[in-house]
Amino acid sequence: MLEVRGLSKSFGGIHAVSDCTLGLRNYAIAGLIGPNGSGKTTLFNLVTGLIPPDRGEVRFLGKRIDGCPPHEVAQHGIIRTFQLTRIFPKMTVLENMLLAPPRQTGERFLSLWFRQGKIRGEEARNREKALHLIETVGLSHLKDQFAENLSYGQQKLLELGRALMADPKMILLDEPTAGINPSMIRKMIDVILKMRESGTVFFIIEHNMDVVIALCDWVFVLDNGEKISEGTPREIQNDPKVIEAYLGV
Amino acid sequence: MDFLLHLGVLIAIYTIFALSLNLEVGYTGLFNFGHVAFFGIGAYTCALLTLQRIPFEVSLLIALAMAGFWGCLLSLPSLRLRGDYFGIATLGFGEIIRMIFQNEVWLTKGPMGIPGIPKPVLFSYRFASLPQYFSLTLGFAVLTFLFLRVTLRSPFGRVLRAIRDDEVAAETLGKNAFRYRVKAFVIGSVFAGLAGSLWAHYTTFISPGDFTLLETILALLIVVLGGQGTAWGPVIGAVLLILFQESLRLLRLPAEWTRYLAPLQQMIFGALLVLLMIFRPQGLIRVKGKGSHA
Amino acid sequence: MAFLFQSILNGILAGCIYALFAMGLTLIYGVLNFVNFSHGELIMWGAYFLYFLMEKPLGLPLCAALLPALLLTTLLGVGMDRAVFKPLRKANALTLLIAALGLSFFLRNAAQFFYGAEIRTYGFEIRRGMRFWGMSITVNQVAIILTAVVCIVFLYFLFHRSALGKSMRAVSDDLELARVVGIDSKRAILSAWVIASALAGVGGILLGLDTNLQPGMGLINLVKAFAATLLGGVGNLWGALFGGIIIGMAENLGVLIISPGYKDAIAFAIMVLMLLLRPSVLLGRGRD
Repeated sequence: MLEVRGLSKSFGGIHAVSDCTLGLRNYAIAGLIGPNGSGKTTLFNLVTGLIPPDRGEVRFLGKRIDGCPPHEVAQHGIIRTFQLTRIFPKMTVLENMLLAPPRQTGERFLSLWFRQGKIRGEEARNREKALHLIETVGLSHLKDQFAENLSYGQQKLLELGRALMADPKMILLDEPTAGINPSMIRKMIDVILKMRESGTVFFIIEHNMDVVIALCDWVFVLDNGEKISEGTPREIQNDPKVIEAYLGV
Repeated sequence: MDFLLHLGVLIAIYTIFALSLNLEVGYTGLFNFGHVAFFGIGAYTCALLTLQRIPFEVSLLIALAMAGFWGCLLSLPSLRLRGDYFGIATLGFGEIIRMIFQNEVWLTKGPMGIPGIPKPVLFSYRFASLPQYFSLTLGFAVLTFLFLRVTLRSPFGRVLRAIRDDEVAAETLGKNAFRYRVKAFVIGSVFAGLAGSLWAHYTTFISPGDFTLLETILALLIVVLGGQGTAWGPVIGAVLLILFQESLRLLRLPAEWTRYLAPLQQMIFGALLVLLMIFRPQGLIRVKGKGSHA
Repeated sequence: MAFLFQSILNGILAGCIYALFAMGLTLIYGVLNFVNFSHGELIMWGAYFLYFLMEKPLGLPLCAALLPALLLTTLLGVGMDRAVFKPLRKANALTLLIAALGLSFFLRNAAQFFYGAEIRTYGFEIRRGMRFWGMSITVNQVAIILTAVVCIVFLYFLFHRSALGKSMRAVSDDLELARVVGIDSKRAILSAWVIASALAGVGGILLGLDTNLQPGMGLINLVKAFAATLLGGVGNLWGALFGGIIIGMAENLGVLIISPGYKDAIAFAIMVLMLLLRPSVLLGRGRD
């Protein structure tokens, strides 16, 4: 599904990602772990087009997407969340959700004037779906609140819900459980497991090993920008290379 | 009574101008400080064409198209810029356009200006008298308000607001931020051109000195006074500002004082803008949204 | 051919002045991460303060009036920061920009209020220039170039050889980090304003000496300063110097080809060109 080959990116002498190669095939939920600074978020940024790679390829469903701007990557079907949530602060929870579906007719300026009926229909359908998802993540009582008024954990749930709303083929989650309390973590795990049933593929950066074990079918380990190991959660937990990376030097 | 109608016309015209700026600044987050350029392009185009005996309806449409065209042209290179840079680029553009009005005497009669702009005739109805002109401008103001309201409440408007709030997040959801910005800018420019055209036909005489930074400052003041990113904000702001600006005329001060009065008034505008930004940047109108701002 | 050399000379002259503007602008940008839209008015008031001190009732001669004029300009600059920009340190970019624009508008009209919109000069007679190699240059113009050079040399020593310079560079790189490490950011910021205002003041006076004074001179010089800053790389002090010289040259060589009415537009055109061709120049200090 997603293939990364020889991907490299340096920032002024620091090799953030170094000749990284990995492939996500049929795993429903894959994990990406590694010590701080190992290049996980940079890898996400490279895949989603936020920064251009120095070298290497990224292929999604066979098509090359490295070098594509972020909105094109999203249109290919990859949606991501951010380590520090990026919700739209001055828009309500519901509006945040309604933004997500791709290729809405109402988003084209000219269509506004000539396709009122179609737009109304789409909006109604999207609204229904949004309300359903808002309920799934447990934010129904907040649907008309400005997103900036939500707690951090609630914002993370909103970001997840919004990503799901975009009907993606693959979701990249960047530390979805960082900085939120255990009950929220439980909620998030539940939502992800539920969505796995509908066929969405997840690729998750995580530090919390409990979450990784609970969710992931397969885990990739990065250290210093390189992939040093991959396997099931159990396998990489016992992998000496991984242990050394977390403890060592 | 005539004075009230005069106020009404000015309020209507400035409302259109401010609404268009609000679309760009308040809703899409574009720091357009050269907005007056499109006001001027609309004014000159419409004036020059109607003086050539071209019917008002056609002249107006062409003026709008010109404003939109130049808006597109300016925005393509500059919209890739980060906020402050875009601000300076548009500021500079406003000045350049004024220089063009001043220097291209063969076209615009330069500093001597264009006198005798005829009263508009729309669908065989001549808007010559003051009440008639008031209804014309009021009509256009209402149309502008409704048009922009529909636009901003639509999914399209939603994307604009998202881009304003967090462009990166919008992009990662598949929205091509650049394209939306250009569209917002062009729409804003078209309506600025509308305001300019109406203004030219009202004052019947235009010259390059009418299209300076002052106009943009006034529009900005209107927008922030009323509340950026709200629908009624610019309207309220326009009413307040025009009332203030024109009320000084009522005082009938001696002529020698005007030399001091104009800059003094503008100093007040400048100071007001600063004070507003420090103490109440969200304007006079609260944006509805359950609970106060964080 | 002599004509060409003369234009080049004029270009260097103007360029020195623009360099001073640009360096001040980029200094503030470096330390506070915003483009001060009122910088042009600091330039303008610098020139007007000297005028104020030299005309009746004070009637000071040029030498006596220079330092007080610079002092006043510095006070204005620091005052601007204290009154307007300090309360807005944490505000978003748009608020800051609009405030700066409003401030610039206020200052420009204040000049017009006190001095009217007419063009004024310092009243020095136009002396015959010294001639060499077919070019003409007046004593004033030599003084202008010398002054600019002195300022630039002084800046160099300040920035690269003093503790203050070091702390300013640290703050410029990363304000939060500098604070954490214990660098007195308040002092660095104050110093930046003092220096930037002084540069603007000197530049404004030199410009007034070479040309004339009018309330609107701030705006167009802001655009030129900004263009120079872009050329040299935003936040880069020496780049600003380089950019200023280029703009000065481009203007004076450009009017050999295009109509003089558009002289001021040349800087803008260069800026647009820069933005089109080298957008990477802008990403230097972006947030994100």
